[in-house]
Amino acid sequence: MVDPKNSTLLEEKHIAEICMVYVLYFDEAQGHIPLLIFPDDKYKEDKKFMRPIKYHSIWFLSSDDLSALDHIDLEYKGFTYFGKKILTKSKRKKRRAGLEEETPETIVIIVSLPNDIEIFGDGLIRKLTETIQDKYDEQLYKIIESEIAKEQIIKTEKIKTCIQEGTEIKEELRTLITEITEDYFDTVIKQKDATSIKQQKAISFLSLIGHDVSHIISGVSDFSFSNIKLFDPSKTDKTELAVKAPLSISSIHIIEDSKELEIIVENKTDKEYNNVRVKITHVKEFFEKEIMDQLIDIWFQQEELLFISPILPHISEYLFFIIDDKNKDKLLSKRIDINLLT
Amino acid sequence: MQEEDDEYVDKNEIIIRNYRTSDYQATLEILRQLHDTYDIGLNEQRWKESSGLRQFKPNLKRITLIAEYKLNGEVVGMGMLEAVKNNLGQYIGYLDNWATKKEYIGKRVGEILAKRAIYILKSWGCESVRINIGYNADKKLINVIGKVGFNPILIVLEKKITDED
Repeated sequence: MVDPKNSTLLEEKHIAEICMVYVLYFDEAQGHIPLLIFPDDKYKEDKKFMRPIKYHSIWFLSSDDLSALDHIDLEYKGFTYFGKKILTKSKRKKRRAGLEEETPETIVIIVSLPNDIEIFGDGLIRKLTETIQDKYDEQLYKIIESEIAKEQIIKTEKIKTCIQEGTEIKEELRTLITEITEDYFDTVIKQKDATSIKQQKAISFLSLIGHDVSHIISGVSDFSFSNIKLFDPSKTDKTELAVKAPLSISSIHIIEDSKELEIIVENKTDKEYNNVRVKITHVKEFFEKEIMDQLIDIWFQQEELLFISPILPHISEYLFFIIDDKNKDKLLSKRIDINLLT
Repeated sequence: MQEEDDEYVDKNEIIIRNYRTSDYQATLEILRQLHDTYDIGLNEQRWKESSGLRQFKPNLKRITLIAEYKLNGEVVGMGMLEAVKNNLGQYIGYLDNWATKKEYIGKRVGEILAKRAIYILKSWGCESVRINIGYNADKKLINVIGKVGFNPILIVLEKKITDED
């Protein structure tokens, strides 16, 4: 049991292990400067944390280069850094000739997640960027002014007011980031395919670092290491009432004679499926290798289909996917461990 | 001539559909009848509920077609078709376990099934369709099949593997 006195520290430690958010700007005099780091600004001084942030390729790409990409990612020492660059309004007097007060501020938002849960990065960076741009487009330059003003040795009343105003906006922004992050992790797992390999990998990782994921089994948890609720118990009813999967595995078994894996899948709906792709793969030496890639042109309503895959020597885990070939939506995915089949 | 036409089942009276697990018993009965006549080597233990399902495995596609009499929903015929990819990358279609319920033999149920089968095999990219028939098969049967364009091209020699091998 965790000592409640230390719970804040633990909570912060766990959040930092799961997710960090960096809001930075490009200073015309000093370069890449952090404005705010979530969960704590103390990481500003930590070279280990700041190295990939300062040299992230997001800084070196222009807005034109970025127009075709949603975000730029950097993998570094077990973490993925999702970077996004935005321009926001400014009335700040710039410190380089040729730049107007109205020249927009270059803001970079970076979200870092351990590689094991990088599946969540795409949605989180998009949500953070959209909200920050929407709510703070006209205020971020005030935080920048405030940070620059803090460096002044003599602080006049005007400077003090500037610092105070900037600090207040910064704290509001921190609260907003906290809320977005918590809300995101609160709901995201349910929205995605709970049986996907990446998802299972993410859950394993969170469990391993001591994050409470017991909600998924028990439904109710009185105590949690952090207030990020990955599986919100209050929403379990909705899950139960959710529409049943259109395709479902009726049976999986091994044909001993021929050393084959037999998977029967039923289209449980009253409609035909067209152009559905079925894939069976396995992982060998970190690479996913394909055994079957089958396009089903028509899958009749209520029809069961039989998929047979050879069982390969020394390979016990197989991945089974059904994908809509047109929009690439995953209709079904299942990890099959033949050692667990009776 | 009129009398002969009356004996044939109209193609509109037959529904050709894919096999369902609920067809297991009916198909087993038909296969038993076929086995009794031609000794097709039916092993009832191996004809499972899932055996006739549309099947996909690397380099093989298989479907079992069912001919259902529209009026009463009776399963009156069945046939399995397979598309097998050979070493040259070509798909060859095979018609297997082609059988009609005794009471419907000679009423062109098999022909209706075969036409649909060839249409499906063509859509799967097959360049030819083969039927395996026993070496000592009835000549009449070979003539019937020959009339719809099947000609002998191969002689397959088989040796049973025994414990002494």
